[in-house]
Amino acid sequence: MESTLLQITATAYLAAAALFVAPVVRPGTVSARIAPAVLALGFTLHTMAVLWRTIAVGTVPVTDFGEGLSFFAWLTAGSFLVLQRRTRLSAVGAVVGPLVFVLTLAAVLTYKHVENVPTLLQNPWLPVHVTLAFLGNAVFGLAFAVSVIYLVQERMLKSHRNAQMILRLPSLEQLDRLNYRCLAWGFPLLTLGIISGGVFAMHTSGRFWSWEPRELLSLLTWMLYAGLLQFRLTAGLRGRRAAALTIIGFGVLVASFLSVNLLPLAGRHGGGLGS
Amino acid sequence: MSNQLLIVGVNHQTAPVELRENLAPANGELPELGRRVTALQGVEEAVVLSTCNRVEIVACCSETLEEPATMHSKLAEELFRPTGLDAARFSECLFELEGREAVRHVFRVASSLDSMVVGEPQILGQLKEQFAAFEQTELSGPVLTRVFHKSFSVAKRVRTETGVASSAVSIASIATDLAKRIFETLEGRMVMLLGTGEMGELAARHLFAAGASQIMVANRTFESAVELAREFGGTPVPIDRMQSYLPLADLVVGAAGGGRVLDRQDVAKVMRERKGGPVFFIDLAVPRNFDDTINELENVYLYDIDDLSSVAQENRLDREREAVRGEAIIEDEVDRFWQWFEKLDVAPTISELRELADEIRVAELARTLPKLHATSDEDLARIDQMTRSMMKKLLHGPTVALKSPSTPAQERGMVSAVRELFGLGKRR
Repeated sequence: MESTLLQITATAYLAAAALFVAPVVRPGTVSARIAPAVLALGFTLHTMAVLWRTIAVGTVPVTDFGEGLSFFAWLTAGSFLVLQRRTRLSAVGAVVGPLVFVLTLAAVLTYKHVENVPTLLQNPWLPVHVTLAFLGNAVFGLAFAVSVIYLVQERMLKSHRNAQMILRLPSLEQLDRLNYRCLAWGFPLLTLGIISGGVFAMHTSGRFWSWEPRELLSLLTWMLYAGLLQFRLTAGLRGRRAAALTIIGFGVLVASFLSVNLLPLAGRHGGGLGS
Repeated sequence: MSNQLLIVGVNHQTAPVELRENLAPANGELPELGRRVTALQGVEEAVVLSTCNRVEIVACCSETLEEPATMHSKLAEELFRPTGLDAARFSECLFELEGREAVRHVFRVASSLDSMVVGEPQILGQLKEQFAAFEQTELSGPVLTRVFHKSFSVAKRVRTETGVASSAVSIASIATDLAKRIFETLEGRMVMLLGTGEMGELAARHLFAAGASQIMVANRTFESAVELAREFGGTPVPIDRMQSYLPLADLVVGAAGGGRVLDRQDVAKVMRERKGGPVFFIDLAVPRNFDDTINELENVYLYDIDDLSSVAQENRLDREREAVRGEAIIEDEVDRFWQWFEKLDVAPTISELRELADEIRVAELARTLPKLHATSDEDLARIDQMTRSMMKKLLHGPTVALKSPSTPAQERGMVSAVRELFGLGKRR
């Protein structure tokens, strides 16, 4: 039942992705108003699936790789819905939509039935750590989408081509401001996520930090975003460079997420939290 | 007696500008031409349209008098009379329309589908203004008033339901649209205008209308910079000091004569001083004011006149695609208008009026009779007869008035009033 729900969710996300992309690429094909509604529908179904899984595993559902992907997609879709309520951002949806769909599809493909969840994971600090860290990642996902659109818009404005599409995309100023806002929200969330992770580790293994691969990669990501934010605030790093670095930062983030889950690296995070 | 709608005129597709400007009556003389046209036998109403792209006479005639072709040439003669030219010699430059075609034409003109630049917004305003003069002088009667009022609402429909007017086609408005894709809003943005030529001034006006609020004007002749700056409430800048003010500008409009004003090094220096804020350079001058390689610099966006013209061309094509959808709306509206127009005769109006009365009578009887107790068939027949004579007497006045022979214009006015008062043609 819950896996069926996840499949329907993925289908809804696919539809939303197509509906976001269509009006940007070919105006007049579909109204730009439909896509957010379809995405919201997918998000509602997804919420039910996540709740279902939470009850089944007895804690926040990131105990294996598939759950992690699904949880990440869920938060990304949710934070985009919050963001686009205030600004017209169909173009950004054209990146977020496909991203959320791919994550959910991967979650469907790697779906496993609930196994015995180790008592280790029943600690109350786990939901705090995981929710904060994943929410930070989701907001960085939005920053990534905004930055992709920034680079596309920048490139088109410079090349003098495709003026019709230039006029359909948001302004550089707005995209740059959104990039900053996403970083300014994502960074504290990630920081708190790492700290609460340390507290969780204290409770379970008695050590705040144990230099395992996942922790090192998190630290790398954290330093990258810290530098980006720092240069934005003090050295006037803006526009194209800020967008490019945001994209690289998200690439590192995704790579670290995938590597600890797919490569045989030792540690508490490897192969999902549960194994 | 039935009506005939006719149009004779010249427009940008049929006649060269020399002929159009010769035929165009001075603004105050439009009703005068209309008066001469209505003085023709058989012409009941007339409206004359005159813009830089067209001079047209729209007339409503009583059909019984003349063949449309004869009326057309009479109208053409009136159009040419003030010029002293022979209308027959220019017959190739004239277009003649009648009936539905004439209605469609007025709708297309109002909707800006017949304009040289499809979708340009000025035509509707001009049309409304000119028509008002004919309405006031009563040269326009019930038919043409309906045609034109309808054309205004059709124009609005075409504008909102299609994209004929959505994309900019003038250089200045395209530059403004692009500026708004770099800056979220132009409010509080500083414009630097180089040169005091017309193109630059126009661009500055557009940027101001879009919210830009501050301007610096630099010019080789300082006096004209002062003059133009005063007009915008801006600051004049001597051309040799221009470079030191440039870092303040978010938008730089190049419209100075004499070619190159800013080199790549100049702009690179400006950008360093600005510490990263983007600048939109709009080069409207030929020869160009800015080195075209500045577009490669970080945060510099340069558009020259050719870049803007090609966007204009793209948008024009886009408008023409949208115009096809506009034509479908026009067709729909012409159909509706024509249904009304064809019924604008006495005979169908009287019979519709009688039908209406009888429908009401029968419906009311059906509601009341079953509630009456112990009425004999005789009584029922009397009641029936009574309602008939009530209706008959009530309709006697309107029927006589509709039939009383008067001028065709009065007749149309009467028919149209009766139809409006009794809501004929709107039922069901």
